[in-house]
Amino acid sequence: MKNDEQAGEELLSRQVVVANPHGLHARPAGKLAQEALGFKSSISIVLDDQEVDAKSILDILTLAAGQGCILEIRATGEDAEQALDVLERLFANRFEEEK
Amino acid sequence: MSGRTITGIPVASGIAIGKAIFVNRSHKATLLRQTVASSLVEKEVERLENAFAVTEAELADIRSQVPDELKDYKMLIDTHLLMLKDPQLKGTAGEYIRTLSLNAEWALEKAVADQEAKFGAIDDPYIRERMQDVRVVSDRVQSKLAGRSNDFKAMQGRFIIMAHDLSPADTVAMEVDKIMAFATVQGGKTSHTGIMARTLGIPAVVGVPDLQKKVSDGDLVIIDGISGKIIVNPGEDVLADYNERAAKFEEYSRKIKRRCQLPAETLDGFRVQVFANIELVEEVAAVLDNGGEGIGLYRTEYAYMNRTTLPTEDELTEKYSELASIMSPRKVVFRTLDLGADKFMAHYGELNEPNPAMGLRAIRFCLKHPQLFKSQLRAILRASAHGNVAIMFPMISGIKEVRQAKAWLAQAKAELRREGVEYDPDMPIGIMIELPAAVMVAEFLAQEVDFFSIGTNDLIQYSIGVDRTNRHVSYLYQPLHPATLKSIKLVVDAAHQAGIEVSLCGEVASDPFCVPLLMGMGIDSLSLTPQAIPGIKRIIRQTQMRECRNLLREVMQCRTVHRINSLVMDSIFKSYPEELTFFASLLENDEAPA
Repeated sequence: MKNDEQAGEELLSRQVVVANPHGLHARPAGKLAQEALGFKSSISIVLDDQEVDAKSILDILTLAAGQGCILEIRATGEDAEQALDVLERLFANRFEEEK
Repeated sequence: MSGRTITGIPVASGIAIGKAIFVNRSHKATLLRQTVASSLVEKEVERLENAFAVTEAELADIRSQVPDELKDYKMLIDTHLLMLKDPQLKGTAGEYIRTLSLNAEWALEKAVADQEAKFGAIDDPYIRERMQDVRVVSDRVQSKLAGRSNDFKAMQGRFIIMAHDLSPADTVAMEVDKIMAFATVQGGKTSHTGIMARTLGIPAVVGVPDLQKKVSDGDLVIIDGISGKIIVNPGEDVLADYNERAAKFEEYSRKIKRRCQLPAETLDGFRVQVFANIELVEEVAAVLDNGGEGIGLYRTEYAYMNRTTLPTEDELTEKYSELASIMSPRKVVFRTLDLGADKFMAHYGELNEPNPAMGLRAIRFCLKHPQLFKSQLRAILRASAHGNVAIMFPMISGIKEVRQAKAWLAQAKAELRREGVEYDPDMPIGIMIELPAAVMVAEFLAQEVDFFSIGTNDLIQYSIGVDRTNRHVSYLYQPLHPATLKSIKLVVDAAHQAGIEVSLCGEVASDPFCVPLLMGMGIDSLSLTPQAIPGIKRIIRQTQMRECRNLLREVMQCRTVHRINSLVMDSIFKSYPEELTFFASLLENDEAPA
């Protein structure tokens, strides 16, 4: 599921850092996919030259993003802005894993 | 036919009689690759999506029945639910049906194989292991596709679950109230299956090598979680005998459990506290349920095992705080890491110790690796802000180790204070007395700490010099050896002389033959496996302190184990015959008439 840019809908993106000590493991990957599934927009996560579907826990897991990785979240669609806000906050809060 | 008997290791007591059902047998062998006619392709996609939907609904239903205390299980089900929704499985399998005209089963297997290749290429073992979950999820969908409504849902009644091995992922996917017992090929005394079974209050036998050969789906089996026997397709007389035993056991368990919340107080008004030994936070439900007054021994090793990275301080803090706050205001005693260097080879290099039991382990290991030690100390201190927390150090051999350990603790406190992190400044500090050297200097050690906890398993092992897992010498392992009793008494007296409390947390604490003697010595508290609490509390409630003291006085004069055993036996048969005849009837008469 590649997120082709649709006519009239611009692609928004933000950069985030993986702060969790163990990187994007099952718990944070699950939270990320869970939240992403709640939006209509197409959302993807980019690490270096890999772009994966943010609604796929398997895609996120196999990205194997460790602590300190810089990721780009991309979204297109009617609720793209909102989706980016929510997902960015997840990263900022380290997925509520630790204080 | 009198049935076949196979034997394993009993890890959760009780008796269950029911139909055997094997779970997590690989479905792979039965999968067929088929080509679907183009006119039927959309129907095949629909069949696939249906199977996913049914599995998802089933899991969601299971999730709603999982008690809140089992947080990790809930999170595991959530992960599985997300995998079911994942476009990489369902979507990709659907595409394979459409583009390659494959049957749904093969298309799904191919999508899973794609994931297997991706996961296999990942360095991080934690992420790589998640492939297991993908397999569990796809197996569930495969069984739906095969029309096997296997997974209990459609099946009436309850079952005895048989498996090669049960992972948390497997047990979570089951409907708890349909499980009567577990039996597995793998596993030992401390396996996950045992913990799960004890939490659910059902019997389990593990480590049964012949299980899959001797038992088939649908066989009638008896699981005897007391002796470790599994009887397959028993004859009528055996069945009748076991029905009676099961009824007796259940009646007895119910009876003692009804009163398990009452205090452990002797008939003449002496009170002992009864705590639980646990390893996982999930066991808390069983502790409270069985009348445990707190956690007398929380074994902290689990978080360090079966992984390649060390747990972080934050990770430990979260676990510890959760335990402290659930139990609050009841006490939780954290024993610091009691592992040997062999468990940490990846981090600290192989030591190649000829005799690890006397090697670099427990407190010795921690003092040698202060970073690791301090991160645990800080986590325990941070948790102390959330409940009634105490700490104890294992395998102490003398004063110097206690002072060193306390110095690290003081440093951890100072750091937290500087960082403005909350902790309980008065958290009690104790030590385990499990080496003969510590027994001999107990009066000095008592000046250094707030409490003692006697670890009899190791104490007996080290003082008699016997490895009880070595069958050539295990007969020497005797809890009622005069040396053991003298050691315990010496420690209890030294503690009380110094005005500190003393607890006992070995298997001796759940041994009805030993408890009256411990009472006579004046032990302040006992800590035992949660499931044994109701029985021990009941025994205490039927004793007189006066009798315990008399018995102890007599026993302390004896010169042989043999003499002590018979004295204790006599006195106990007099005091609570009901308990003993009950247990004797369960254990004896093993070979029922054919």
